[in-house]
Amino acid sequence: MSKIKRQNSVWREKIAKNITFIVTKDCQLACKYCYLVGKNMEEKMPWEVAKSFIDYVLDHENDPDFAYEAVVWDFIGGEPFLEIELIDKICDYIKIRLFELNHHWFNSYRFNFSTNGINYHTQEVQRFIEKNHEHLNIGITIDGTKRKHDLNRVYKLTEKGSYQDVVRNIPLWLEQFPDTGTKVTISSADIPYITESVLHLYRLGIHQVNINVVFEDVWQEGDDKRFEEQLIQLADTIIDSDLYQDYTCSFFNENIGKPLSLKRDNQNWCGAGRMLSVDAAGNLYPCTRFAQYSLRSKKALIIGNIKDGINQNLLRPFLALDRMTQSPQKCLDCEVASGCAWCQGENYDSAHTNTIYERSTAICMMHKARVRANNYYWNKLYRKLELEGRHNEFEKSKHNIKPEIC
Amino acid sequence: MMQYLLILLDDTSVSFCHYDKPHTPRRLIGLEDLKAGILYAMKENLMVQFVYPDYELPQEHLNIIDTIDHHNIKPVGMGDADVVVLEGCDPTASSLNGKVCVLQCKKKELFTESDSISAILRQAQRLNVVITDQECFAYKDLKKYETLLDKWSSVLKEEYLTGRTPQFNLLTDRIMLTKPNHCNAGVENITLAPNGKYYICPAFYYSEPTDCIDPQNIPNQQLLRLDHAPLCRHCDAYHCRRCIWLNRKTTLEVNTPSHEQCIIAHTERNAARRLLSSIREVGVFMPEVEIKEINYTDPFEVRNEWQ
Repeated sequence: MSKIKRQNSVWREKIAKNITFIVTKDCQLACKYCYLVGKNMEEKMPWEVAKSFIDYVLDHENDPDFAYEAVVWDFIGGEPFLEIELIDKICDYIKIRLFELNHHWFNSYRFNFSTNGINYHTQEVQRFIEKNHEHLNIGITIDGTKRKHDLNRVYKLTEKGSYQDVVRNIPLWLEQFPDTGTKVTISSADIPYITESVLHLYRLGIHQVNINVVFEDVWQEGDDKRFEEQLIQLADTIIDSDLYQDYTCSFFNENIGKPLSLKRDNQNWCGAGRMLSVDAAGNLYPCTRFAQYSLRSKKALIIGNIKDGINQNLLRPFLALDRMTQSPQKCLDCEVASGCAWCQGENYDSAHTNTIYERSTAICMMHKARVRANNYYWNKLYRKLELEGRHNEFEKSKHNIKPEIC
Repeated sequence: MMQYLLILLDDTSVSFCHYDKPHTPRRLIGLEDLKAGILYAMKENLMVQFVYPDYELPQEHLNIIDTIDHHNIKPVGMGDADVVVLEGCDPTASSLNGKVCVLQCKKKELFTESDSISAILRQAQRLNVVITDQECFAYKDLKKYETLLDKWSSVLKEEYLTGRTPQFNLLTDRIMLTKPNHCNAGVENITLAPNGKYYICPAFYYSEPTDCIDPQNIPNQQLLRLDHAPLCRHCDAYHCRRCIWLNRKTTLEVNTPSHEQCIIAHTERNAARRLLSSIREVGVFMPEVEIKEINYTDPFEVRNEWQ
């Protein structure tokens, strides 16, 4: 029977609380598109801060802020694995306390990592993986071909590309986490390498490529055309070579590019506010994107600290946010609105006033280009299946897919 | 649509709203700035409201003020005014007969000086009570506040039975209003400060003097409007001022009120409902008005119903 591979669902999506430790603001790399403008070697999370934060979270089990069925403990940097010893200690403490408290998250948790993959093979990281494998999700970021990857993902001291040091760890990673995908980021300069990069990642054995354009206002005239051409080229190869049966690329999604109802589809896209982040100083944020090292032009938006807890009044605007209130009229009227994403942190950083209620539309032309290519992809794929007499089979096996949510 | 221009005549002009008057030295608005403000109001068709300090203005200022139709907001004891402002519960009650008054006070004073407020209600044509430390309200204060509102309701009912119909922002406004009656700073009114610059409202001037605006081009002005207030646009506490300065101070967003602002407004709303029902016990009164019974005091709690 014909099949189209679907993106793996996110673990306990919508019923899991995302809690993020910014364990370090240091990284071996200085990726050119990285939104973390304030990385540094000084701000490493002390154990006491991590412990107090865990105590705060677990002691408030019944608060609405933590009344989720499950929890994803996220570790972010910089590069989180630079602090593997601390992370190991944090994870041990979480497990012990969940058990001691008979907490409802006891067997309903994940440890989640986004890593540049450079330290993946080290003894310390491997020991940690072995110890926690059942509850782990690790994504290694590899951007595609060597030339695409090395265009952006360079060492901070030498500016040398990091591809070789990452790709050598991919087989081990895939052996340990075969269903995991990689995250690819596209900026203006990367557009010519999209097709070759996605196909390269497939060849490396990565079956799920989660790819997105940066939210920042970096786009130049003609980028949308070039982007569309790349995606159509990619669509042709995926369909003509039957790669769609075993591989996914998040650029292609049946649910994007449709008009949205002001009433039914008024929810916020971004999860900021429903997530919670803590930094080395013990300050709490609605998402890491509101920490100072993530912001170019605005002050950090701190919603509390580990001593006093969350200031609920500062959380209210995030939880009250909806699509209509923050979007300009052109977005509300847009006929291809579905799947057009935004990042609350980028909205805040680029807003004309200190607000999270001004949606940045820097990706507008790129979204429209994506929609055109996406329409082409599905029209071509369905026609192919139809001509091969397999469309009905596919229709039967098709399930409802929602657009991805941050 | 912009309708009013508020002109603060001095840095020590009386505060008639949620902000505390800062302890700054006198700084009278310059004559040229005053003239420019008046000219702007004339060209933009704005009604001017002058806010006075507690000292006599120089004659040359008074002469310029007289060149335009206007309203005067003055501290009590400073002569004829359209709005008399009492800073604190120490009313010189005899001078408030038939007046439109604003009483600015803190929570503690509100609770200890309720009799003074009752006395004002028996004299004034209208009383606006403005609490300057709303953020200090907690759930435990609400019961006490409810009791006070019911006490003032009794005073109002007695007055109504004698034929007087005083207005009280905390109780009668909700009965009279059929739609929200917010402050609408930055949408229907703007402020000219003594430094000659324009601000969303006096509170923005005193709290962030660098936050001046171009009245013709207010950035993100849509966020000041009700249709861009995600909680307030669903709310029926119509008498609430929806103070965007307090919003920004407490939640960092001009369009999102604090929990405290909401629970206070809803306690008042519910007290207005009780007052309406109480007045109706003695006769037919505004039969077209209905204030529904609700089971929340903060619309944030029921946001999932419309999100």
